[in-house]
Amino acid sequence: MIGLHNLSKHYDDLRAVDDVSLSIETGSVVAIVGTSGSGKSTLLRLVNRLIEPTAGHVTLNGQDTRDMPAFELRRRIGYVIQDHGLFPHWTVARNIATVPRLLGWPKDKIRARVEELLRLLSLDPATIGPRFPHQLSGGQMQRVGVARALAARPELLLMDEPFGALDPVLRGKAQADLRAIQQTLGSTILLVTHDMAEAIRLSDRVAVMRAGRVEQFGTPAEILSRPATAFVRDLVGEGERAFRFLSLIPATDLAEEGAASGQPLPRTATASEALDALIWQNAEALPLEGGGRISRAALLRAGHP
Amino acid sequence: MRYADRLGLVLALPLIAGFALPFAGLRPNRIAAPVAEWLPHIFGWPAAAGVALVAVAALARSPLRLPLAALAVAGWLALLGLGASRLAEDAPAYARVSPGAGFWLGLVALVLLLADALARRKPAPVARLALLAATVAVLALVLRLWPDVSVLQEYAARRASFWAEAQRHVALALGSFAAAVVAGVPLGIAIQRTPRLHLPVMNVLTAIQTVPSIALFGLLILPLGWVAANVPGARAAGIGGIGMAPALVALFLYALLPIVTNTVAGLRAVPPSVSEAARGMGLAPRQRLLRVDMPLALPVILTGARIVLVQNIGLATIGALIGAGGFGTFVFQGLGQTAPDLILLGALPTVALAFAAQVIFDALIDLLPGRRP
Repeated sequence: MIGLHNLSKHYDDLRAVDDVSLSIETGSVVAIVGTSGSGKSTLLRLVNRLIEPTAGHVTLNGQDTRDMPAFELRRRIGYVIQDHGLFPHWTVARNIATVPRLLGWPKDKIRARVEELLRLLSLDPATIGPRFPHQLSGGQMQRVGVARALAARPELLLMDEPFGALDPVLRGKAQADLRAIQQTLGSTILLVTHDMAEAIRLSDRVAVMRAGRVEQFGTPAEILSRPATAFVRDLVGEGERAFRFLSLIPATDLAEEGAASGQPLPRTATASEALDALIWQNAEALPLEGGGRISRAALLRAGHP
Repeated sequence: MRYADRLGLVLALPLIAGFALPFAGLRPNRIAAPVAEWLPHIFGWPAAAGVALVAVAALARSPLRLPLAALAVAGWLALLGLGASRLAEDAPAYARVSPGAGFWLGLVALVLLLADALARRKPAPVARLALLAATVAVLALVLRLWPDVSVLQEYAARRASFWAEAQRHVALALGSFAAAVVAGVPLGIAIQRTPRLHLPVMNVLTAIQTVPSIALFGLLILPLGWVAANVPGARAAGIGGIGMAPALVALFLYALLPIVTNTVAGLRAVPPSVSEAARGMGLAPRQRLLRVDMPLALPVILTGARIVLVQNIGLATIGALIGAGGFGTFVFQGLGQTAPDLILLGALPTVALAFAAQVIFDALIDLLPGRRP
């Protein structure tokens, strides 16, 4: 459990972050969404004390983060930034080993951990490990950045626009991969993005920030169905609301007894993917892999709060 | 144009001049005016034609250019030695054979050709070091053929003092270089961290750079003389208004600006995202400096160090003016005696030393890990 308690950061007259309190359950993903200048990156950097707050404090699993040296705190918190920030003079393996080495892990343990992480992120340890960052593609660099942040099993992972430098196709894949990894490892993640769709897709809870303050903090479904302010409503947008809402619902939740013809849907599909397949195949209902079916009527019913 | 390129055509001119102008000069004694001797006259027409053939073959664009150019350079140097021995046979004991305009022009053309052929192959750093070692070995062999060339006769007369001055020259250049690195890099780091210091320090260093070297020696005589007279033990340690001490101090001061400038530039060039990541990963300030910032700035710092080393090897010549020794001793003696061969005895090793330092340093920079090819 990570707690942000009345955090503020003021620069002269500018209140970059203004009295923000949030809590992040262990094993959950919280996204901070906002336009540029909303203070979301500043808030993130207050957590690992890259910036010291003007007021307020952060607790990491009950411990006040002011009670330890900043660099020690940062070794317990993973940090992923948009431009990867990989060390260009170190190999991929050495990059990933950064924090374990700082913590003085034994060599074999580090080597095993690096290999494990490269595999987890679908990178081949034998070929990718010895490479230097400039020999990687953008998508590979992004994954190495994530692996480096996860290396020492951090209590919290901070991600600042982690997919910002990727093209849309890669971004979708990277988001899905991150969600899968998060569920496998049970990581606690605080993520900053300007993309509401990304926030809704990835997180358990969304904090919408504007001018240094949190306008709304709630589940993606709440943000979509009951935006607290006009700003949140604008950020969510009028278009595709129903599809975003459906994307939050697993297709299996809408399954009913019976059979249907057509190509079966995978059990991991979301309701929005099911609707897409239904429209595309012009079917009233489609079978679900492993039994049951999903009907058009059920999807339409589920598509609004 | 298939068999010729622009470089070959351009270099043909000095090469023709190499044959058309006097290859060597025979002088009755070491300061008299030379009597010109042409290549064909020394070796006969068939031999000269053979030499010309190799040189022209090297000019043509072909995969053989590199070996031919290397052969031509070594051969050209050997020819001077052999020619000098031939000319010396029939000459009186005090006669000197020195290289002529034709020799120099031809040498320049062939060396440029060789350098170009080498550069086109883009040899790896280790290969470049090996090539340098090979060059030194070949030179040592070729110079054995030079006992009757005037420069080597000057050398033979001063064998012991030549190596002593060589040692002092290297000590002057390397000593001031090392001191400048030891002082300049931390100064650069400090400036980079404290922007307030940047302008004043840079202004002082730039001001020093504008003082002519002889004037700087003059300025140093007083304070160092005072130190020698008043600080116990200073004179015994070799500190004084003239000699090694002021030369070292002057070279050190000149070397500071490039070292400090490049340290600052190198540190500034560290990508912001990398610095941010280093902080975010939990590297302590010292670890950040030593493990991330300095390694990344190192190529730029080394570039500055290379400038300084080459510059110091050249500048150290001036040290002879105030009794610091070095190859400058021969240059200034030669100037005083109007003996050009003696000037060359000081100048040629200085150039060779500077060249070798540059090759070694460039190779070291390229050997640093994680650099883009």
